[in-house]
Amino acid sequence: MPADRGSYPAALAPLDPAGADRLSTWLRGYRPLAGIPDELFDASGRPRDYWLHFLSDLADYPAGQIRGRFNLATRHIRDTGVSYRIYGEENERGWPINPVPLILGQDEWSRISSGVIQRATLMEALLRDIYGPGDLVAEGALPAAALTGTADFVRALRGVHPPGGRYLQLYAADLARGPDGRWWVLGDRTQAPSGAGYELENRLVLSRAYPNLYNAMNVERLAPFFDALRKGLASAAERVDPRICLLTPGPFSETYFEQAHLARYLGFLLVEGDDLVVRDGLVYVRTIAGLKRADVILRRVDADFVDPLELNAGSHLGVPGLLEAIRGGGVSVLNMPGSGVLESKALLGFMPKLCRRLLGEELRMPNVATWWCGQAAERALVRSRHDLAIAPAFNGRDRRDPFATPRLMSELSAAERTDFLGRLEDRPGDFVGQEVVRLSTMPVLRDDRLEPAPFVLRVYAAATPDGWRIMPGGFCRTSDQLDVRAISMGEGARTADVWVIADAPVERITLLANQDEVKVRRILGHLPSRAADNLFWLGRYLERAEATLRLVRSLCTSLMDAEAAVHGEGETLTKLEELLIAWEALDEEALGAGALDAARPALLDGEAHGSVITLVRRARRTAASMRERLSADFWTLLLNLESGLTDPNRKLSSEADALQQVETALRILAALSGLAQENMNRTAGWRFLDMGRRIERGINVCRFTRALAHPEATTDDLDLLLDLVDSQITYRARYLVGLALTPVRDMVVLDPFNTRSVAFQVAALRDHLAALPTLVDDGMMEPPSRLSRRLSTRIETTLAADVDPEFILDFEDSLKALSNALADRYFLRGANARPTIKLVGLA
Amino acid sequence: MIYTVRHRTTYSYESRVPFARCVLRLTPRSSATQTVMESRLTVTPEPSLSFERLGPFGEATTTVVIEAPHEALVIESHSRVDVHTAPSRLDFSAPWEGVRIGALETVDLGPEGPAGFIYPSGRAVLAGPITDYARESFWPGRGIVDAATELMGRIRRDFTYDPEATDVSTTPLEAFLARHGVCQDFAHIMICGLRGIGLPVRYVSGYIRTIPPPGRPRLDGADATHAWVSVWCGDERGWLGFDPTNNILAQDDHIVLAAGRDYSDVAPIDGIILSPGKQTLKVEVDVIAQTEPAVARPTFGSR
Repeated sequence: MPADRGSYPAALAPLDPAGADRLSTWLRGYRPLAGIPDELFDASGRPRDYWLHFLSDLADYPAGQIRGRFNLATRHIRDTGVSYRIYGEENERGWPINPVPLILGQDEWSRISSGVIQRATLMEALLRDIYGPGDLVAEGALPAAALTGTADFVRALRGVHPPGGRYLQLYAADLARGPDGRWWVLGDRTQAPSGAGYELENRLVLSRAYPNLYNAMNVERLAPFFDALRKGLASAAERVDPRICLLTPGPFSETYFEQAHLARYLGFLLVEGDDLVVRDGLVYVRTIAGLKRADVILRRVDADFVDPLELNAGSHLGVPGLLEAIRGGGVSVLNMPGSGVLESKALLGFMPKLCRRLLGEELRMPNVATWWCGQAAERALVRSRHDLAIAPAFNGRDRRDPFATPRLMSELSAAERTDFLGRLEDRPGDFVGQEVVRLSTMPVLRDDRLEPAPFVLRVYAAATPDGWRIMPGGFCRTSDQLDVRAISMGEGARTADVWVIADAPVERITLLANQDEVKVRRILGHLPSRAADNLFWLGRYLERAEATLRLVRSLCTSLMDAEAAVHGEGETLTKLEELLIAWEALDEEALGAGALDAARPALLDGEAHGSVITLVRRARRTAASMRERLSADFWTLLLNLESGLTDPNRKLSSEADALQQVETALRILAALSGLAQENMNRTAGWRFLDMGRRIERGINVCRFTRALAHPEATTDDLDLLLDLVDSQITYRARYLVGLALTPVRDMVVLDPFNTRSVAFQVAALRDHLAALPTLVDDGMMEPPSRLSRRLSTRIETTLAADVDPEFILDFEDSLKALSNALADRYFLRGANARPTIKLVGLA
Repeated sequence: MIYTVRHRTTYSYESRVPFARCVLRLTPRSSATQTVMESRLTVTPEPSLSFERLGPFGEATTTVVIEAPHEALVIESHSRVDVHTAPSRLDFSAPWEGVRIGALETVDLGPEGPAGFIYPSGRAVLAGPITDYARESFWPGRGIVDAATELMGRIRRDFTYDPEATDVSTTPLEAFLARHGVCQDFAHIMICGLRGIGLPVRYVSGYIRTIPPPGRPRLDGADATHAWVSVWCGDERGWLGFDPTNNILAQDDHIVLAAGRDYSDVAPIDGIILSPGKQTLKVEVDVIAQTEPAVARPTFGSR
């Protein structure tokens, strides 16, 4: 690198002297490894213009402001719950974003695009042959055993024409810049490429953090690509206005967030396997209005798991009969199951030859040299060379296997080497040898220092009726270690946005579609049964958390309230503890404990089924599985609710502390219900959320009333009841005489004007049910409606004097029955929509 | 030898099942070693949809959809199969290392080609101890048939047939370490051992004669569907059946239903039902050699 690289064209120098200092400090301190290309510098060792433009602008912000801006933008990411879940782990890991994007010029980008388009074309042609006539294998261009080592070779689909006319909808290539400065393909993603959704988020953050720069630098926009992707998928359908679903493995998938985000961004229905059923050769989504056809499925479930009837019988992620529907042309599944066969490293070495044969061209972008050991000469070469890396030829190998991840031959111990050579002898087809590629670097900003970091770039291509379309950007991952070979990069440590700089100002893309193409609609399809179920339970958990919080609040105030102390707080305390125990928020042994000792576990005992923290976590998990249906604000509040409760800095050392904790949580819950009331469309989804809340509230008021408004109730009991049901003020305003049993019962149970009364909940439930779709148009009322009408008539015609504990218990049971009737009618787990279970196997 | 096979599977449900969808692999196919003279499949209640298709490994499958609410599902297959006497087997078999290399180089991607059967599969996960066990029979240059025959004999000798010891979810390694199992376990163990040293081998499901000829012992595995393996013995010899449960080559006692990578590929019934309740399963298999004197009342075995 030339010594004077700190000097940059004066024209681009920042105006602010402090900024100029900063930039030159950055550049002086920037030391890429010798012999490895770096994005900041061109071949002659001079900083590239667009990098200088970006960095000088960045340097111009007062120190600390970059971080401030960036933190603001990343907080948005955290708040909206962007995350990358590690497989099998409960908790989510944030995915840090570099404050500096990878910047690529137009020339560079055209070369990359052209190479990726060629490769995508090659992949499609390969799949067509492998699952079609099989000429490549029969004629010796590709060994059969280089295909059969992965579960993604789906033999059951050989000879089946892909219903949409193509195998691939979305293809991605992982690229790195080799030592010669050219771009190399490290691997192909043909199964269900992930990461495009993360890039969308990264872009959101950077364009918020540097709005002016983003516009001034003519950064190519991503939206047109996603529009093309959507059109490509729609073109694979038979019907004009197709229903497109994104099939996800579910919330435990490591890229679940991304899938939810993409589904929402693209306007697709996010579905899991048991949301779908196959009937008469077509695929349907189970919705609250019955079965609705799914035309196109964007697949994020691995091929082997998509159909437990024909493929992996142990799969719970798939749709029984899906392959049959594909065979019959009843549904387009993209990428076609089986496309993942091309991800095997075993195939990489054959690509140059296959490209010549299938496309009549040389590969425009080379792959990393790879030798499949299933071939005699290649095996001998791998055995003899010590400078190679060895890697599994096929994905999906046992993770405990020491050779399941790529290893450098030179770094194997003597014992490992012997072990490897033995394995190579036993099962040569399991391994490939690969040339070791050191990754080129790009600038990242860490602690106000500019540092080089190795990176891998994933570039996406979408199939459209007019050919392949490349996303101008990509999913870039960087490593925190400077000297990294492609093979040990893993998933990377951070991500970076990717900016492709256009030569001319970028057109402001308004995604306004042609007027004629858009059909005006007010409701986006029918609510899937699963979503209805989740929303309903989210409502129930939130309401129950609120009721538990109110119990804890009374627990804390019972001591502090002087009046209560006079009347013997002991009794009230016992009653509250009994309620919390019945609720499973407290252990039975806690009975008789002091207020604080009862409040603490009732709030925070993660083991207790009914504690506030358990309920809040359940609510959060339920919400997590339908994140695409909740607004970012709703999600943020829910996360705040949980983090506020578990904040280690808040010590509960007195009743006052606990009270404050409770008040904060109650305020967030109030905000959540406010959001639901004011910001959710009045579609079926909102109704299910609200019905969950109403049912739970109705049941809770019944329970409180039975415990506290019994025939021998004291005024303390009634006072407490009004607190718990939040009707204190209403009561005092209406009855100046003081507390009496019958008016209290009337107010909390029968009063249709009191938003907290049982009667109010029942009326709301009745109205919700009347507005929901019916399955059969025969004029008959469905069971949930029948039940709710009966309840509402009963409560409307009952006199306060007749309300006794027996009546209330009976009413409480009826509400539970209504909840079951809702589940039976609308949810996947109900009796009318029975779950799919496997027939037990035969030995 | 001509066999009459009756195979009845009965599922009983706790509550009524409104919908079922099954893939059945219960119909034998004609091949070089057997001729199917007659074969029919009866499903009760009557399916609303039923169609036949060849599965990925060339097996005959029948897909049925049942939409009539039912409390029991009965699947019964009847067939008459003529099993041919295998050609005399003088062992001029190829050295096993050559077979391993040949399978990697094959240009046959078809259902019968060896390339589909050299890799581990869902239920045949390779395990070091099993590979090492198999390796003892495969010394350098040994003929593949000779070596596989010895391995089969060792499995028969070293393992105890015990229907109580394992179930359908037992892994090959578990059964191997316990030295107990049934035909399914022994087949999977032999598969894992052979694939461990790179050899192509298939899991075969089918039937074995129920009533032994006079003077010969009753064969194990006769009262249910049976399982054994077939080993690729090179291009010349092709697939050859080995029954490690009984230490015999699969010849005129064995009727083939289907062959695949492991049990999952050939499971006689894969199905799903819509039901919240419990289910119980009863299997009855009866295989009668036609040339034998008629038995007054065929005894159903069941498990």
